Amino acid sequence: MEQPLEDMAPPGFAEAYRTHSRSIYYLALRFLGDPQKAEDATHDVFLKAFRKLEQFRGEASLRTWLYRIAINHCRNRQQAWHDRHVFPNTDDAILENAVAETDSPLRVLEIKELGQQIQRALDALPAEYRLLLLLVADEQLSYEQIGALTEQSPDAVRGKLHRARKAFTVLFKKNA
Amino acid sequence: MKHQTKLSQEQQQQQHAAEQQTQSPSAREFASAEEMLRYDAAHTTVPPAIARRLQKSIGQTGAPPRSWWRNLFGL
Repeated sequence: MEQPLEDMAPPGFAEAYRTHSRSIYYLALRFLGDPQKAEDATHDVFLKAFRKLEQFRGEASLRTWLYRIAINHCRNRQQAWHDRHVFPNTDDAILENAVAETDSPLRVLEIKELGQQIQRALDALPAEYRLLLLLVADEQLSYEQIGALTEQSPDAVRGKLHRARKAFTVLFKKNA
Repeated sequence: MKHQTKLSQEQQQQQHAAEQQTQSPSAREFASAEEMLRYDAAHTTVPPAIARRLQKSIGQTGAPPRSWWRNLFGL
């Protein structure tokens, strides 16, 4: 019979998993675009956290620290995948010029298909925009924290987010 | 005449409700990309298999040094 996580890990780890696993899994799922890869990534992120927690100095929040591990992990996985596959990039000029209709609400006719529609739009975005949108969707993260996680200033985050939102809206409506 | 008008209003309301149902019972609007992603995240379930795999992996890894747990959680 399997022991529960609470009995296996030191105090607090199971609680940390319960608190943060959804955010880490969601980031991996939508960044990598594959449920199995997201499952592997989430497992690897928490296992790495378990093994490396002596390196966690409490200067950042535990959530931010887990995000940092997850981002590095997902980028490495994505890079390995990119190295094996060649595919066309989304035309940035099209996204930049597609200003029309981006202020109108995003309408979804069938909620059950929402995940697929979101994934199609995110997949077509540059990886940096995709990551910024996923991080800013977490209301617990500030622009400063997102800037630290993506190694840029909060102002740069705001500027890129503006373009990322616009691009996402265009792609979502195009793919809807 | 008034009766006819009221009947007509009720019919219109019923027709409108029926049209909405026929159109899409699960239609929804989001004000922004973030709002949509938050909704999506809130409705995403973490596969229970991850916790089971973690249990197994941690069982094979063994406990980490206790000191950081004391620091982190004040134990």
